[in-house]
Amino acid sequence: MNLFGLYLPGTSWLHRLPVGAKYVLLLVLTVPVLVIAAPLPSLAALAASMLLLLSTRVGVRPSWSLPRPLLVLLAILAAYQVVVGQPGLAVVVTANLVTAVYASRLLTLTTPGPVLIDALVAGLRPLRVVGVDPERVGLAVAIMVRSVPLLLDTFEQVRQAARARGRERNLFALVTPVVVRAVGQAQATGAALAARGLGES
Amino acid sequence: MIELLGAGVTVSLPASGTVRTRELLVPTTLELAERRIAVIGANGSGKSTFLRLLNGLTLPTTGQVRVDGLDTDRQGRDVRRLVGFVFTDPLAQLVLATPADDVELSLRPLVRDRAERRAEALRLLAERGLAHVAEQSVYDLSGGERQLVALTSVLAARPTVVVADEPTTLLDLRNRDLVRAALAALDQQVILATHDLELAAEADRVLVVDAGRVVADGDPAEAIASYVRLVRA
Repeated sequence: MNLFGLYLPGTSWLHRLPVGAKYVLLLVLTVPVLVIAAPLPSLAALAASMLLLLSTRVGVRPSWSLPRPLLVLLAILAAYQVVVGQPGLAVVVTANLVTAVYASRLLTLTTPGPVLIDALVAGLRPLRVVGVDPERVGLAVAIMVRSVPLLLDTFEQVRQAARARGRERNLFALVTPVVVRAVGQAQATGAALAARGLGES
Repeated sequence: MIELLGAGVTVSLPASGTVRTRELLVPTTLELAERRIAVIGANGSGKSTFLRLLNGLTLPTTGQVRVDGLDTDRQGRDVRRLVGFVFTDPLAQLVLATPADDVELSLRPLVRDRAERRAEALRLLAERGLAHVAEQSVYDLSGGERQLVALTSVLAARPTVVVADEPTTLLDLRNRDLVRAALAALDQQVILATHDLELAAEADRVLVVDAGRVVADGDPAEAIASYVRLVRA
């Protein structure tokens, strides 16, 4: 399962919306709730992002389903907040994280990857004067979107390997291989880009 | 043409408080001019290091590697435009979510107009018989399809040399034949590392690498025979 969702062709209003407006929508759904940090606005943003996803007509499953490693992570975060006596914050943290995922899907499910890169590159072009390379930033964001599901998949593989050896509760046994593999994947991606002459200044 | 001029690779390895060095490739001098060159050798013999030198993914710690006169160290970016590299695992190579997106990424420096770039990406995929998977997730493709997409992405950057590191190792027989046929049909010079001795036998020249040293170099039949003797000695 792809966390942010793979582009699904369609004709909904969100498919037709200019990509710049979709970036703005993403920010509107995610940034204010981070500043306000209260349960009701967070739940409202979550509900809004869920309804907006449904309006893309790509189906309930690609819109709302979440990968198991993310659910595990959300449960750990919520449990921690409850244990430290902040149940309200448990709602805020989990709702904001799921809203961020759903808001990202509004963009990625309705926009082809290269169009996202083109929009970012165009938007960042004015920053060239301060030394920002828009092509590199666009490429970095595209790779980040691709890397998150890879990391979640790695986490799931490591969790199953640890479970097979009865070490599922050993945090060290879970985190160390995930970090080692993530670094390996980052190096492999860097080599793959370099091999095609991409991402080099 | 690719030239190795005393090119060698040594790495430093930390070991119990000290640092020891290991020679991955001894200083080597040779020219690679033939259209089809195969590099064979045991696991860990230095084949991948040898190949990675050819487009500057690994830089020599001694000597030089030149591609059409360009130094892989000082002119790495230009070298990588000339020399495409196909990895053993295509998933390590495919950076974006779908074949069309990934091929389009390779075309970004070459084709500015987005619609034109998309059309070109789809045309290149169709040329390799991959039109039906162009918009699918790369995770949903078979091993052979992934390797062909990786090859298409590399070729989209229009290299003059294709270097492939064990491109058929992870594939079943049918997919191996597909990738072999695709490589055989290329106009570019192809330099590949392989454990597939049938594939190596199709080359114009075969290099045998053992313990970081080119121990045999020349006619495929003779080089392969010397490799088999080496392994079974």
